[in-house]
Amino acid sequence: MHKLLTIDDSKTIRLILARAFKEYDCALIEAANGEEGLKAAAEHKPDLIILDITMPTMDGIQMLTQLRATGDQTPVIMLTAEGGASSVEKAQHLGVSDYIAKPFQNDALVAKVQKVLPLAKKA
Amino acid sequence: MPTPLSEDIFQECIEQAVQKVFQTMLQKTATPVPGASPVPATADWTWPADLSATVAIGSVGFAGDISGLVFLYLSEDLAHRIVSGMLGMTPAEVTEAGREVASDVIGELTNMTVGVFKNRIHDLGYPCKLTIPTVVWGDEISIRSPRGAVRRTYVFTVEGRSVVADLIFKED
Repeated sequence: MHKLLTIDDSKTIRLILARAFKEYDCALIEAANGEEGLKAAAEHKPDLIILDITMPTMDGIQMLTQLRATGDQTPVIMLTAEGGASSVEKAQHLGVSDYIAKPFQNDALVAKVQKVLPLAKKA
Repeated sequence: MPTPLSEDIFQECIEQAVQKVFQTMLQKTATPVPGASPVPATADWTWPADLSATVAIGSVGFAGDISGLVFLYLSEDLAHRIVSGMLGMTPAEVTEAGREVASDVIGELTNMTVGVFKNRIHDLGYPCKLTIPTVVWGDEISIRSPRGAVRRTYVFTVEGRSVVADLIFKED
């Protein structure tokens, strides 16, 4: 079963993602900031990370910089309200697979995830 | 060279932000109320009647070449409808989930709204970053602008209920 790690300080976003992927054969792991996200990535070895930028403790860009510094090349999709050109550029430089600006529709998010990680529907 | 920020640009950016978030996340139409948005808002401006009871106020700041705050005011009733729509909960589940869950949803709704607004301003030549959302609830809350700040207030209706977007920032 594929593992998706969602890193967002908003419980709302984590709940929306859980609903969006509930009919797919995958396990969702949650983290509320970059620091928790790094620990969860090391512990669970996810197949894909869905990452916010603006978070307390450690933001998404800092988290991704540290993750890549360890040699971890897990695919990352940014899901963020921070859509300014400089943030997009920084994220691209860190090798993100895709960038989704909030607000978003669940179908569009699932389609972008499917491009990186083909998920089967639950039987 | 940054594009000069006119009243029309502020209004267009905030209206687009509120409408886009309500439409995308809730499939609800946010309609701007004509003539209800004094620029800047004045002390004697009449507050929408349905926001005189308990309200949820979400706020998110932006800081950089331009800095400020946007407050979103919603009645408790509309806030609960938003929670229901965003999380797929029944009204009873929303009540049971309580204010902590509702605050998180309103915080995220505000974050998205200010994000769309801020990204437009950013791309017009004013780079800035978002802050973490905060949400407060209360019956008699008033926001006072800091000295030298300009305040613009925009009113919308969503399913017959008022939403106020209050933009406060310092102009150089």
